[in-house]
Amino acid sequence: MSDFWFEFVEITQTIGDGLFFGATYALIGIGFTLIFGAMGKLNMTYAAASLAGAYAGLAAFAFVDAPAPVVFLISALASGVLGFVAYLTCFRFIPINNHLAALMASIGGLFFIDEMVVHATDGSPLTFPALFDDVMFDVGPYGVRGDLLFVLAMCVAGTLALLYVLYRTRLGLATRAVSQQDVAAQLCGIDVHRTNATTFVLAGLLGGIAGAMTASAVGVLSPLITVPLTVKGLIVTVIGGLGSIPGAIAAGLLVGGFENFFLYFRGVNERDMYVLLLLFIFLVFRPQGIFGSGADRD
Amino acid sequence: MSYYLGLAQLIGIHTLLGLSAYVLMLTGQLSLGQAGFFAIGAYCAGILTVIFELHIVPALLIAALLAAFFAFLVGFPALRVKGLMLVVATIAFGEFVRLFFFNLSWRVPRDGIHVGPDSTNGFREIRYFVANGWSAWEITLFVWTFVLLVMAALWWTDRSRAGAVLRAVGEDELAAQSVGLSLTTVKVTAMTAGGFIAGVGGALYAHTATYVDHLTFTVLLATFAISYPILGGLSSVFGTLVAVIFIQGVLVEGLRFMGDWRSIVFGLLIVVAMNLKPSGLFDARTARLLRRAVGLRGGEKSRA
Repeated sequence: MSDFWFEFVEITQTIGDGLFFGATYALIGIGFTLIFGAMGKLNMTYAAASLAGAYAGLAAFAFVDAPAPVVFLISALASGVLGFVAYLTCFRFIPINNHLAALMASIGGLFFIDEMVVHATDGSPLTFPALFDDVMFDVGPYGVRGDLLFVLAMCVAGTLALLYVLYRTRLGLATRAVSQQDVAAQLCGIDVHRTNATTFVLAGLLGGIAGAMTASAVGVLSPLITVPLTVKGLIVTVIGGLGSIPGAIAAGLLVGGFENFFLYFRGVNERDMYVLLLLFIFLVFRPQGIFGSGADRD
Repeated sequence: MSYYLGLAQLIGIHTLLGLSAYVLMLTGQLSLGQAGFFAIGAYCAGILTVIFELHIVPALLIAALLAAFFAFLVGFPALRVKGLMLVVATIAFGEFVRLFFFNLSWRVPRDGIHVGPDSTNGFREIRYFVANGWSAWEITLFVWTFVLLVMAALWWTDRSRAGAVLRAVGEDELAAQSVGLSLTTVKVTAMTAGGFIAGVGGALYAHTATYVDHLTFTVLLATFAISYPILGGLSSVFGTLVAVIFIQGVLVEGLRFMGDWRSIVFGLLIVVAMNLKPSGLFDARTARLLRRAVGLRGGEKSRA
């Protein structure tokens, strides 16, 4: 009985930690979904730009010993700038209905950013300052890691800020108008290009926070995590339903918990395979995702 | 000389990889999973010649059929989703295959040593060509026989009704459906054919490289696969070949003096190319201009 109880606590603890860490996947997923909602396109540079933002924050930490809030701020700003650059180089001048060209360009951008980071750091992993990693709360038999709690809090704050911008400001109104019907929005006098650019910057700011959070929760920043993070972000976006923000949040937490569950049982080498299987299960049985409307998804 | 032969083999293999994406793109599907089928072909053919000691030709065909079978399987769920969702699904498939081989360990004793895939250490003993005393010339000839066979088959398909069917689905799914074409059949067939071609390419790659590991088959390889037909355009199979020669021969080899900075150029090149020519560097218009420039010689008829 006590063995079983111990096992049960251990497993639920693992899943719980995963849920907390899943908040970073949720943020990355929100970024993909936001841009998909606005333009109907995938911005493949997104996860790479988010991590590049975290690198900028890390540089501030390493060279001028900036305090943690400044590190996060710089990460967010740098990633926002990269979002704008990605919009200019990969989306702005490519015909709006040519999805594949934009996708291809952003994949080029992904490798470009990734290689720049590899060159700047000689490809070696760097330690990222962890926050509150010595804090531990005890809730009954469970321990809540302070750093993961901080990750969750930051992600919630970021999401709330985003929702505020989207639903309570004129800018958000314009963004939602463009995402619903870009021609109609244009006829109402909304500058579609400017609105799209703003969406990219907003997503980028969020991504920078996510990148820094990921790095701080893992403890290291390495170019090796770019592609896996991109893939996880895409999986979260699809599982949540393309274009759905609540879906991305739910899917991010789901993927985080799911992956830690398999980390516990099958080890780190096989963990990601099960996450990919989860995606295929969704593609077969619920291709529109958790919150997707299904009918009009292309 | 062996350097140029090696380059010729590489160009041949990458042409197969590019053509596997080309077939899919004719039907309007973009797959970032071609590296996965390539990996299945590579590992399967390697296992067949090393562990089961098969001759290379049956090994290659079995490997390609296996890759085609998996492409067929992936085709069905992936076709419930379209466009960008398909891209995500195929990226996920490619990563899944890579992680599978990352974890696969199948070592058997042979002549006193253990051979076979060794999970993270890769698969090191695919020495069929060396063991059977093939010269570099013979290997190159072998590779290009398959490249030319596949190119001829695709070229011929393109001129038959099947090619028109593929392109009809690619141009306008609704219109294709209303003239009675089954979208599922056409797309799954294209997917399967693409898997087969990638499988052949992978099998040849494993044997020319003699060593494969999971890091070969990343999203970067899948990006190479789709960038060939995108750069080369979809007007004919030769576009893909030209793009492979351009990227592998001119860019990758020609920019060797830049050292590690080459891979940065690759990303930048894609971004610039897509901005300047969103529908491919050698799209129909450029091809027509080129043909006019060389004096309209040769059979390539312009497609209406």
